[in-house]
Amino acid sequence: MNLNEWIFIGLFFALGWALPATPIVLGKILAPKRPNQVKQQTYECGVEMVGSPWTQFRAQYYIFALVFLVFDVELVFLFPWALAYNQLGLFALFEMTVFIFLLVVALVYTWRKGALRWS
Amino acid sequence: MSGVPSLSDLNLAATLPVSFLALYACLLMIVDLFVPRTRKHITAGLTMLGLGIALVLALLPLAGAARFGDGERAFGGMYIADSFSDGVNVIVLITALLGVMVAYNYLDRIQRQRGEYYSLLLFTTLGVMMMGAAGDLVVVFVALELLSIPLYILSGFRRPQEASEESALKYFILGAFASGFLVYGIALIYGATGVTDFEGIWAAVEEIVAEDASSKYLLLVGAGLLLVGLGFKVAAVPFHMWTPDVYQGAPTSVVAYMSVAAKVGGFAALVRVLGSGMVNFALDGGLVAAWQDTVWLIAALTMILGNFVAIVQSDLKRLLAYSSIAHAGYMLIGVAAAGSAPVADEAARAVIMYLMAYAFTNVGAFAVVIAVERDDASNTGLESMRGLAVKQPLLAASMAIFMFSLTGIPLTAGFIGKWFVFKAAIAADLIPVAVVGVLTSLISAFYYLRIVWYMYFESGESEAHVPVPLAWAISIAAVGTLLLGIFPYLLSDMTHKITLAFGP
Amino acid sequence: MELTAESIVFLIMSAITLGGGLLVVSARNLFHAGLYLMVSLLGVAGLFVLLSAPFLAGVQVVVYIGAIAILIILAIMLTPSVTQLPAIFNRQWAFNLALAAFFFVLLVSVVSPIMGELGVDAWNADFTQKNPADVPADSIVNLGKDLVDPDKYMLPFEVASVLLMAALIGAVLLVSPDKAKADEGGED
Repeated sequence: MNLNEWIFIGLFFALGWALPATPIVLGKILAPKRPNQVKQQTYECGVEMVGSPWTQFRAQYYIFALVFLVFDVELVFLFPWALAYNQLGLFALFEMTVFIFLLVVALVYTWRKGALRWS
Repeated sequence: MSGVPSLSDLNLAATLPVSFLALYACLLMIVDLFVPRTRKHITAGLTMLGLGIALVLALLPLAGAARFGDGERAFGGMYIADSFSDGVNVIVLITALLGVMVAYNYLDRIQRQRGEYYSLLLFTTLGVMMMGAAGDLVVVFVALELLSIPLYILSGFRRPQEASEESALKYFILGAFASGFLVYGIALIYGATGVTDFEGIWAAVEEIVAEDASSKYLLLVGAGLLLVGLGFKVAAVPFHMWTPDVYQGAPTSVVAYMSVAAKVGGFAALVRVLGSGMVNFALDGGLVAAWQDTVWLIAALTMILGNFVAIVQSDLKRLLAYSSIAHAGYMLIGVAAAGSAPVADEAARAVIMYLMAYAFTNVGAFAVVIAVERDDASNTGLESMRGLAVKQPLLAASMAIFMFSLTGIPLTAGFIGKWFVFKAAIAADLIPVAVVGVLTSLISAFYYLRIVWYMYFESGESEAHVPVPLAWAISIAAVGTLLLGIFPYLLSDMTHKITLAFGP
Repeated sequence: MELTAESIVFLIMSAITLGGGLLVVSARNLFHAGLYLMVSLLGVAGLFVLLSAPFLAGVQVVVYIGAIAILIILAIMLTPSVTQLPAIFNRQWAFNLALAAFFFVLLVSVVSPIMGELGVDAWNADFTQKNPADVPADSIVNLGKDLVDPDKYMLPFEVASVLLMAALIGAVLLVSPDKAKADEGGED
């Protein structure tokens, strides 16, 4: 395995970690520490905090995540097919049409059942 | 491979029952969206129509009346349309038909009449059919998921009820765990052989055995993990723990279907993978596959535990759950017998016969439980059977037939199933395990016949409501049980063509 | 053990995977456990890169980290008490540890003789393929071809879409609020 082509991704990763980490660490070291009650509060766009952030989510978030997951997996199948598309015949297009059609059926079902509506 | 391959290249016609039902299930799902909630009998009727057509399409080749397609292999060997898969198709389609019949009024009663029930039922049926026809481990895995996922959902179909939700969760978590084992096993088998199709595995095993290559250990562990994964699905000891809880919590109509369908799928895959792909995996150079000892040990444990624990059960659904564990043990004898290469085909036939007998009998028994169950899922205790013969003589008579058949009393289907399985075991030189089977059958008579005793010789306030579709389902199951018991050659003649072996 | 670039990357990725996994099972806060799972999965993605399977690495990031881990975190946020687990070790931890150890020993003992046959020195692995030509050049394109090849994986491919559809029905059925129930005023 030649890793050279992955060096840039590795660099990107390292940089991605380093850029946010540096100011945080620098802040810890350099900044004067004089805490008081107001400063210790969680900052949320200047709005005063109400209650704990550890609240129970609504079940509706979950259905979106689930639908997303199904179409995410579809993407996994679509991607290699799209890369090989130039070397494939008409039949492959037909197969993918069937594949996507079935998922469209699933989407129509989800839609009709009102699962995508935010109630 | 560029361009459009003709249909004969694909041999799509050979997959006719499956491809028809797949198309039908998808269409039904769309149609159901436009069926108003009060008129779901349309969906149920259409489901039965589809299953009926598929059943005819599966029966024709099994009976030798027609053969679709060109040869047995379709999709480049991924799909094998032989007598074995035809047999599996017929069994699961009959089960599904009965499953729809027992479910329709039950869903009304529990106020969960949804069209999805029928679509999901069709999808699991498809999964079972694909497992029976799989020619490749990848297909086995995808089909197993197609079989399992709708069953997880169906277990939780009675949703606001906690027992049903708990049952679905338990089934899902343990089932996902089992799938993990299966995938791991497939990965190791692939690692050892370099292929995933059964014919390729067969050839690779031949080579491994000839060279005594060290990848045989990898193959052995792979086969073991695969056995664990499928053992979960068919509820074999020690992977049976989920069965009583899931069967008790899930809606009874679902249990009636899944107690049979999951077993049909699991055993079809076991016979295909072990009996066909690895039948030649004999480490000592003989004709007995290396996995045979493990399988018969599991079979013996399963029969003993299932039957002994069933004795102390006081709930009908739990009792039938342990009974279904015990029956998994009897079928595993057949799988173990398939480990002796000369007996493999006979053992596969025995498993098919047993599954057919079990399908009629077990769906019937659960249908009777549905009849006595109250709308709030109570009254499934053994005492609900007391005095049933006075109030509902026909229902009691059918239940008696099912209990006789589960015990294995002659002239019922259960006897025929056990007969074929034990015969295969003796032919494969597995006499001790056949003896265990006979002895545990005697023990099982205790708790099965106790139900018959309750119905006929004790008085009690039994109640039952038997709407028309349920009555039909129970009658068909009872007639099927008797017919198969009295005229076994009706089916055994058809299964004579089953051959699994690759190579010379 | 000779330290090549590959072996260093391997060690780092293994450390990320195992360390993440260890933190998942030992974190007291369920939410943090979910985040550590993402770290562990990232390490697995790195191992896939080392194994010349860039597509699987991508799938690992997109599906496992991008969707499944998010789903798990959402599921954790659905539970009423997300912050504290009463005890991190359940009663069976010793048994589970023994089982895991047994499985580890089993796998090592099964795989190591084959490595010898393949000519790979198991304990001083160099991570270069014995014959680099064995690795197909553009494996993703080959994967795409095989996926829709009627003689190869077309059948599982189409069945997979039916499977996804069934899963989606189940998700909608089980998660969406029951309309009939809501009409009666009994919201859960």
